[in-house]
Amino acid sequence: MQWDRRAFIKLAVGGVLGVHASPLMWKLMDDSTIWTQNWSWVPVPEDGAVAFANVVNPQTGTGAKARLVQGRVDGTRAIRVEGNPEHPLSKGGVVPQDASALQLLYNTDIRVTAPLLRDRASGRYSKLSWPEALDILAGNLAEVAKQGKPEAIMALGQDPESATGQLLLSLMAALGSPNLAFTPNAGETLALAGLAMMGQTDLGFDLANSDYVISFGTPLLENFGAPVATRKAFASWRGFPKNSGFLAQIESRASVTASQADMWLACRPGTEGALALAMCSIMIQEKLYDQAAVKASFGFADEGDFKGFKTFVLKNYRRERVAQMAGVPLEKLVKLTLGFAKAKRAVAVCGPGNSSDPGRMYDFMAVLALNALKGNIGKPGGVLVQAPLPLKAIGSTRVQSNVRPLVDPAQGLDSNNPDALAKAALAGKPYGIKTLLLVGGNFVYNGPQAGVMEELARKTPFVVALTPYLDESASVADLVLPTTHWLEGWGDSTSPYGSPVACYGLHRPLIKAVPQAKDAGDVLLQVASRLGGKVAKALPYKNMEEVLAVRTEAMGEFEELAEQSFWVQPKPAYGPVKFQTPTGRFEFFSMGLFKLLSGRAGNPQVLERMVAMMGVGGGLEAAFLPHWEAPAAADDLGTGMPLLLAAVPSLRTTWGGDAITPYMVKVLPDTMLADMDKLVVEMNPQTAHELHLYEGDMIRVDSVAGSLTAKLSLFAGAAPGVVYAPVGLGHSAFGFQVEGKGMNFNRAAKVTTDPMSGLPVWELTAVSVEKVQG
Amino acid sequence: MVIDLDKCTGCGACSVACMSENNIGVLHNETDKIRSITWMRVYQIDNGKSFPDTEVAFIPRPCMHCQGGKSGTPGQAFFQEGPMDEEAHPPCVSVCPATATDYDEETGIVSQIPTRCIGCRYCVAACPYHARYFNWYDVPWPKGSPRALSPFVSPRMRGVVEKCTFCYQRYQAARNKALVDGGEVGEMDYQTACTEACPSGAITFGQLQNPEHKVHKLISSDYTFRLLEQLHTNPKVYYMSKREWVRKKADNYVTRHNKFAQAAAQSGH
Repeated sequence: MQWDRRAFIKLAVGGVLGVHASPLMWKLMDDSTIWTQNWSWVPVPEDGAVAFANVVNPQTGTGAKARLVQGRVDGTRAIRVEGNPEHPLSKGGVVPQDASALQLLYNTDIRVTAPLLRDRASGRYSKLSWPEALDILAGNLAEVAKQGKPEAIMALGQDPESATGQLLLSLMAALGSPNLAFTPNAGETLALAGLAMMGQTDLGFDLANSDYVISFGTPLLENFGAPVATRKAFASWRGFPKNSGFLAQIESRASVTASQADMWLACRPGTEGALALAMCSIMIQEKLYDQAAVKASFGFADEGDFKGFKTFVLKNYRRERVAQMAGVPLEKLVKLTLGFAKAKRAVAVCGPGNSSDPGRMYDFMAVLALNALKGNIGKPGGVLVQAPLPLKAIGSTRVQSNVRPLVDPAQGLDSNNPDALAKAALAGKPYGIKTLLLVGGNFVYNGPQAGVMEELARKTPFVVALTPYLDESASVADLVLPTTHWLEGWGDSTSPYGSPVACYGLHRPLIKAVPQAKDAGDVLLQVASRLGGKVAKALPYKNMEEVLAVRTEAMGEFEELAEQSFWVQPKPAYGPVKFQTPTGRFEFFSMGLFKLLSGRAGNPQVLERMVAMMGVGGGLEAAFLPHWEAPAAADDLGTGMPLLLAAVPSLRTTWGGDAITPYMVKVLPDTMLADMDKLVVEMNPQTAHELHLYEGDMIRVDSVAGSLTAKLSLFAGAAPGVVYAPVGLGHSAFGFQVEGKGMNFNRAAKVTTDPMSGLPVWELTAVSVEKVQG
Repeated sequence: MVIDLDKCTGCGACSVACMSENNIGVLHNETDKIRSITWMRVYQIDNGKSFPDTEVAFIPRPCMHCQGGKSGTPGQAFFQEGPMDEEAHPPCVSVCPATATDYDEETGIVSQIPTRCIGCRYCVAACPYHARYFNWYDVPWPKGSPRALSPFVSPRMRGVVEKCTFCYQRYQAARNKALVDGGEVGEMDYQTACTEACPSGAITFGQLQNPEHKVHKLISSDYTFRLLEQLHTNPKVYYMSKREWVRKKADNYVTRHNKFAQAAAQSGH
């Protein structure tokens, strides 16, 4: 055959027609369609019957329901965490941390799946069996105790009120070490302020029934108490078509709370307490306070040469002076005070700082004094005393040796200061530590001064981390013990900060735990039983379930309670409050504090010196009265550190408990995280202009504690002279979706000790700022 | 759906609850907001004033489920009442060559069927609200994490478009239940994940045209508005705020009076 043009066309056309006639092409197309829709890497979730189970998230206090799917192959798995409309406080509704909790639960890349022993030289982990791991831990504790120095064991836990916390307290007490601290929180400050002025520790704010709320620097709508319950109260003020409640926010930045408030009183950072006292002085001058309530109180008026609160406040907190010092317009301050004084059910609220720190005790006392002048204590919409939770003690927490703790108890009222403890242990003064137990709380990340915690962990000969996750603490621990997530194991939580009624949350195993994970409480019990002797006697329980059953005996049938998952005080305690102070009255001048410290000092001269040594400003005259002191960071200004570093709280990040989840990272706005992994800090445009900085510049923020490298965002709502950085980013663990996103605020925050409460505070830090390449 | 911006605290619970309901994945880089898939996205706006008069507000933005075409009368809650009265004309539906997205005359929901989608992204370009997202990548599910996925929503593959469906699977479940029980789908039987999750109750969900439902009452208020109203997309998501600057920032400021006038003009009266 001749190969010509015609033959070529015939062959080509014939070929095309032939291929079309054969099923080959259609089959291939069909196959490719199927193939493109059957990508093995697109998961196919297994179907099954749906069930719901109540649970309370111990991290947020949200009453929730887990939606469970019972699959034939995969078994029971949780697919969602939803709100529980039957929970009296949260009434349905969740926050991002609740809704995305499963992302940490099921990600086996970040969970600890077996006890691990880390070789310090190579950093490699080797797997252990539980008996081996417990032997190592118990052996170490026994050895340190045998050397006669049980105080060389230090422990850090997450929540002292929880059953796990109580077991840790008992364990340390039985071992004979006083060196124990927990994640600090504002509840302790409020308890101390309440104890000083009212003789009551469990105070709450009846926000839902209040019609005039003033929040003193606390992020009411970002990070306050149980966030869902707080929002329910907030929503009840936003009526339709008219608002039924008035909210005023006093703080330095146009935060969410400030923006949603009816009035934002923009003050200089750290002056909120002074403004509370200025409001007291206005109310006294205008005679707008509750005469009856004040008459029944102690320490308001002068008596003999004793100068009362009235004289003290009128002399030191004149409205003009405070307004000028705090940088607020006087008429706005007066208007706010008059509104507060005239409102039917007004309440002044104090709480955790924007950095989640426990707050300053004198600021809290100032706010309580303001509430007392309003006469709202024990009244609807005011300051309430919670009923005590009907919980049975599960052990003794008294340390039976008279070893001196690492931190001098005379430093403040509360010894729960992980930061001071860590700093003392690092300095080896008065002695160093040999073993460090980290029971949850991820202290190496959370700090509060994270750098100090990491250094301590690296320098301590033996570090144990009990944690569900391969977190920062696990990465420096010698022994990592896997514990359960709150959806997998037994545990509990008590009233969130500022709750008007007492509440208790219980969680039980709803799904099968990752292999080998044990409840943290169970690990402590098993270690105690291995140690034997008086330690085993102090923790005589079989497991966590038994501990909880004993603890909640008074709350009714245990199984019902576990199913219900919460217990809430049925009614708020309205009515006259029983002030358990030495005078039996509300004390503007805290007789309780005075007696306590006088007892410690012995005589007035020593008392004066002692108060000065604690760092209380204003001398003896002010020490027992609510007063205001400039924040510690203000003293550092001008030493080459011209700016302040403050925190931006958000429910899209977390501090103190579980880490930020991938979904929370996903919803971070570009004013917090940008360009894949860069932290974003805010600054007032005017301040940036003075420093020759522009939007989008990369800057380094340096403090004495550490530094942050971040992208600059100019925000008109930021107070001049302050750098605002988000808290809760910059993990070095938790998988590719979380790891390395931003930088850790607590690496740059300088932690100091509140002079009176003795708790750590880190609201403000003096910093310098420098432009860097990048 | 009506969203009260005065109650919204920008916490992101709606957005995260939506992701967990609808099996949305997390990529390596989620700061690239063009490619980051968030069916419910919370935008932040501020009033543009300098310190100390600055204020911020948040605008949660699901799919608007536009009806398009002509608005109905105020009595009809601005929507044309009967099906086929006037054909619905949402911007995205009219450009889809694969019928992967459609307007349901009965519920008013704009559907999205990822398995039909051919990935041309016309609808992404057509949507004036940036509510549609294209799967540029496969989701890198971390080991073990698919255990948390819901069996009621299929995880999507690379190369298709997805968006908010008003949790249609919940509507299906409620409808099935109503069929079995022999009743109607009640207001509270069908609620979206974001509505349920919102801790301050800022989101209200229901049938706009049903006078029994809460949303019907809310939309007749002076404080309600819709986004980009002058595009005549006729969205089914309303916002409300007592703050004037928030309403003004939402592109076009429509008072009660001219809202009615506009609706009348559009429907040819």
